[in-house]
Amino acid sequence: MKKNYLKPLTLACSFAVAGSILLAGCSGDGGGSTTSNQPSTAAGGAEKTEIVVGRVAPMTGALASFGKGSMDVEEAAIEALNADGGLYMEEYGKKLPIRFVLADSESDTTKASEAATKLINESKIDVMITSHTADTVNPVSAACERAGIPCISVDTPADAWVANGPYTYSYHAGFNTENELSCFVDAWDKIDSNQKVGILAANDAEGIELSSAIKEYAESRGYAVVDPGRYTSGASDYTSIINDLKAADCDILVGVMLTPDFSTFWKQCNQQGYVPKLCTIAKACLFAADVEAVAAGTGICDGLVSEVWWTPDHPFISSLTGQTSKELGDFWTAKYNEPAPATMGYKHANVEILVDVLSRAGSLDAGKIIAATQATNLDTCIGNVQYNDDHVSVMSLVTGQWVLEDGKYVQKIVINTQIPECPLTGDLKTLPGSTQ
Amino acid sequence: MKQLTKKSPYGIMIAIAILVVLCVIPAFGSTYALSILTLIFIYMTMGQMWNLMGGYAGLLSLGMQAFIGIGGYCLAVFSVNYGVNIYLAILMGAVFSVLFGLAVSPALFKMTGVYFAIGSWVVAEALLIAFSNWKFVRYAQGIGISTVYQLSGTQVYYTALALGVVAVLVVLCLMRSKTGLALMAIRDNTGAAEVMGVPIYKTKIKCYMIACFFMGLAGGVMYMVQGYIVPSAGFSIQWTVAMTFMVIIGGSGTMEGPIIGAVLYVLLTQYLYNFPGWSMILLGAIAVVVILIAPRGVMGTLHEKTGFEILSSRRNLY
Repeated sequence: MKKNYLKPLTLACSFAVAGSILLAGCSGDGGGSTTSNQPSTAAGGAEKTEIVVGRVAPMTGALASFGKGSMDVEEAAIEALNADGGLYMEEYGKKLPIRFVLADSESDTTKASEAATKLINESKIDVMITSHTADTVNPVSAACERAGIPCISVDTPADAWVANGPYTYSYHAGFNTENELSCFVDAWDKIDSNQKVGILAANDAEGIELSSAIKEYAESRGYAVVDPGRYTSGASDYTSIINDLKAADCDILVGVMLTPDFSTFWKQCNQQGYVPKLCTIAKACLFAADVEAVAAGTGICDGLVSEVWWTPDHPFISSLTGQTSKELGDFWTAKYNEPAPATMGYKHANVEILVDVLSRAGSLDAGKIIAATQATNLDTCIGNVQYNDDHVSVMSLVTGQWVLEDGKYVQKIVINTQIPECPLTGDLKTLPGSTQ
Repeated sequence: MKQLTKKSPYGIMIAIAILVVLCVIPAFGSTYALSILTLIFIYMTMGQMWNLMGGYAGLLSLGMQAFIGIGGYCLAVFSVNYGVNIYLAILMGAVFSVLFGLAVSPALFKMTGVYFAIGSWVVAEALLIAFSNWKFVRYAQGIGISTVYQLSGTQVYYTALALGVVAVLVVLCLMRSKTGLALMAIRDNTGAAEVMGVPIYKTKIKCYMIACFFMGLAGGVMYMVQGYIVPSAGFSIQWTVAMTFMVIIGGSGTMEGPIIGAVLYVLLTQYLYNFPGWSMILLGAIAVVVILIAPRGVMGTLHEKTGFEILSSRRNLY
């Protein structure tokens, strides 16, 4: 009985498989290579009607706090521009609206790479923008380099990005390790301590960069550095590190950690009776939600110090919308009923740089976009952006401290050495429960 | 019995027809189709090797990601730091994978069943930690594999196609050989196989080495596509999750299962990028539903109900 329908079934399946492959193969731009630098047109070779911009961001996973606000912020930034018909493109002799296509990296480097490749090949993006830590920016930049697509990124330590270069198609704006350390050491200088500093850093890109740079920098400012070694992200027991820091009598901690790692570490520090005078931690305490999660209803995060890339108090104005930082912050607060985080400014600035570059390029040709990007000199809401030979624009930081006010954690700007125009909103204090 | 073992003339014709189509696709296919097919071939290779281990030999490994990481890092380190040709670097990754597999196999093959699964996972996790703390590979900073930026999508496509085809042929030939029979005998009843004279350790090692070699190659080609590697990605358990998904969906213990599974997995994951946060939940739900409705997977169920198969590892009676 089976013999009767085995033959037609076999043939049907073979046709189905071959047909689906053919259909998949025939659809799209008709190119045979992922290197596509020709003037971009709409699918099928029709007249260009829009500028398609890819956007990879961590919307879910461990970095979801960074991704929050995408695409609301980006869409708001181009709302008026698109309402006016879009951006004038000399190559096409007309205005073209900008359309963003978002893909979630799921806070995973492999997914970030695959998502970027999907945007490049399926959505036929003309330019990529990306941001939010090396786990997102580095793989997306690599995917763009592979495909020959211009990539404009912000918000990851510049050194961790440059280390994976050299780049041809990718440009990045972000603070460097020196600026990050400087905003922490400025805080150390303001308290009475025994000048002993303990390092907390994972063996990831940002941890290695910070830990390798800090010894020389801190010693040049008169501090002795105690390094208990790198830990692997996801560790559940920091007892040996805490014991080393205790034994070395460190009054100050400095490091860069993921929020879940810091949460575990900081709770164990408090449980094991070690609270330094000052804890200056990058990345882990950038967002109020993360600080609240670490504190879990307690006051253990009162006094934590973090780097701050942008605040609504920054003295900068958007080159795209003319909004002040405060107005940008108000947009976030109205939307999410919370103070605007630093990511707000960087998301907006990413779009500012994109629009500036495209308007000067007047073309969607990758070569012209790259030439325009290299020549960038733009005052954005995060400061002036100019790229150096490594394709990096180094941005400035201020120092923030989380303070518990009326049961809520509020970030105060306590040091502004790098951006003196940024107003101070609080005085630096030592950790209330310090055991040192 | 006669039906199930009778040689079908269509299988080889269909396989050749599909191969011809795949070979000419770059001439007229879109870049997106090429990138999707490239991923399918790489995942298919991984699925075939996981199926060879788990589906045919009964060696359920949760640590095959170790060899993907080794393959990827060999490509990165040798091609970027030492200027070795990309393809040679990928081949070196496969060789290093085999050597590492040989080194850990005496300990691993003392275990069976769930102990083997956990043991293999521990080995992969140990490698993840070792690479994260190894200065030579820049700790967990990651390496941008700039040497692959020069490759066109077509070059990468043909590399992945060759890898996928060779992997399928190797598994097919292996399963039609005496070693294949021995592997299935070990899977079905190790004690009985040993009594019948099957060299257990030698047969397992042979199977494991082949899987290590192709996993190393697959890792190299995967990172040829991605251009950036960090230990947390290269040695991620997600690779094994993907392989398991493909084999379960496609059909464990069948030649076509990992192929169908790879097609479904890649198309699903690409589609699910449109639903941030839901992709893993939906993939898991699909796997659960398939296990409940068709526990033998798409190809296993199709074969059970219709006798349909293209690449049969079964012997012909005449």
